[in-house]
Amino acid sequence: MAKEVSAKQALSAAKEIVKDVSDFGDAVNAEVRHHTGGRRKNAYVYIEVVASEWRELALWLKNSKGVDYCSMVTGIHWPENADAAWQVVVHLLRTGVTNPQIVKKRVHETKVDIAALSGNSVPMEFEISMTVPDTREPSVPSVADIWVGADWNEKETWDLVGSDFAGHVGMRRVLLPHDSPTGYHPLQKQHKLRYHDFNEMYDDPQGFGRKPEDSGRVK
Amino acid sequence: MAEMWISMGPQHPMTHGLWTLKVKVDGETVVDTEPDLGYIHRGVEKICEARDFTQITTYCDRLCYASANTWSHAYIYAAEDLLEVEVPERAEYIRMVAIELQRIASHLMWLGAYCPDVGNLTGMVWCLREREMMMDLLQELGGSRMHYNFPRVGGVKRDLPIGFALRCRAKLKLFLDRIQEYEAILDESTIFLVRTQGVGYAKAEEMINHGVSGPNVRAAGHNYDVRWAHPYSVYDELDWEPSVERPSIKGSDCYDRYRVRVEEMRQSALMILDGLDKMPGGADTYHEPGDPAILAKAPARAAEGQTGYHHFEDSRGESMFYLAGGGEGRGKHPYRVSIRSPMFITIPYAAKCMIGYKIADIPAIMGSFDPCIGETDR
Repeated sequence: MAKEVSAKQALSAAKEIVKDVSDFGDAVNAEVRHHTGGRRKNAYVYIEVVASEWRELALWLKNSKGVDYCSMVTGIHWPENADAAWQVVVHLLRTGVTNPQIVKKRVHETKVDIAALSGNSVPMEFEISMTVPDTREPSVPSVADIWVGADWNEKETWDLVGSDFAGHVGMRRVLLPHDSPTGYHPLQKQHKLRYHDFNEMYDDPQGFGRKPEDSGRVK
Repeated sequence: MAEMWISMGPQHPMTHGLWTLKVKVDGETVVDTEPDLGYIHRGVEKICEARDFTQITTYCDRLCYASANTWSHAYIYAAEDLLEVEVPERAEYIRMVAIELQRIASHLMWLGAYCPDVGNLTGMVWCLREREMMMDLLQELGGSRMHYNFPRVGGVKRDLPIGFALRCRAKLKLFLDRIQEYEAILDESTIFLVRTQGVGYAKAEEMINHGVSGPNVRAAGHNYDVRWAHPYSVYDELDWEPSVERPSIKGSDCYDRYRVRVEEMRQSALMILDGLDKMPGGADTYHEPGDPAILAKAPARAAEGQTGYHHFEDSRGESMFYLAGGGEGRGKHPYRVSIRSPMFITIPYAAKCMIGYKIADIPAIMGSFDPCIGETDR
């Protein structure tokens, strides 16, 4: 019996999704990518989507492709790139988890026959990227009602990075104190770490080289 | 009866760390909850942006003090994905041993904390006693007691010490016997059964939609495990299968979640015993921190905008690191490090899970999901 999803299964499942996603036209660009580290280099699906189409794509993934799990929502701030200053990356998984079957009034736990998985039942990783041009109030559509797991991920992304999610109910600070100043989102790149000179810090992360001239500076 | 909000925390015996649970009660029944996190937010993601790829491991250890090794390995696999690094097979075996030992230690810490939650102090003492054996073994590998800093990009810190396999086998065999002692004091204790059975029902599909994974889902009757779904390391060569519980029609209760973790400890111990037998001979397993062979290539391999990520089966569910490379401008440093903490997503779900039960059930339900605040707040 197979002990894990094989590279072949993952590749054919990924190709199938990329083929079907082309129905969306120009708003969605999908490709099969491969992990580059480790021993297996399994395939996953990488999708670039126009932010306004994201909800439609999400619903399609959930309803037609069985994507049932939102792993993580990440915001990235690229201040030097005015066309795409805000990026939101969503990682989804297709787990195929179902409630256990009930046969003759008895519950039977599910033990997946891994070798027999094919098509929509193969576990699959999705990386979905969307960008927003430079603006003071970046926002992409929320998917917290599609995958409830995205709810707190989106709260965290707004809290730390400042990307808002249109349609998200109950947005609030989750990791920073509730009374943090409005508009303060520490993972934006204008907030430097510890010292004012960004490059200097990157060249010498431990700070050994700059201790003498730093002594008079305010942290 | 009038409803009112009660604030539990940030400090009380159940919380397993600092966080507040606001509970709305009607008499003794919980009608609404609202978790409030962030008391120990350290800004690890921001700190990592100023460290090179080999230095970040140290911070990942400190994400969760009960499960340090699984977190640093979760990072290492993501970094290897970004930097396109291959790992010798022996190093993969050593990593597997380290990860599974840590999983046992983490589950023991959980059981040790859960027993007093539901009124059994003996269980705590016994679990911490066995945890010491795992800590000793991990200390042999990493050199320190809690934060091992063991994996390296491209390998591990050092090869197995002489005689490690011998000591590891002896301790695990003793441990496998001791698991039966836990089962004897817990499964046959009426108090434990009454506190855990029939409370905190959770269904598998609902949990997956809420982003809950790992042992909590396996307790609800589906054997989904990242180790076979998105494989890494050498789990395909070992003789194992994910532990899974048979829940009731209403879903898994706290007792199922306890059972699945006990089974998982047994499974991990057998996995290590099997891995020690199958471990191949010595390829190069060692990499210095700041190894020039790795770091010199980092700017070219981790070009700006290039990304690496890895889904990892942590002791508490699916954890993940997502790294965006910094390219030439930033040299050896990542541009953005994003951490997926399973407990950050699970705690809000566990809080919903309590609605409809009594105040006295809150510790039993909350504890059964294995909360860890270090990784939650990052």
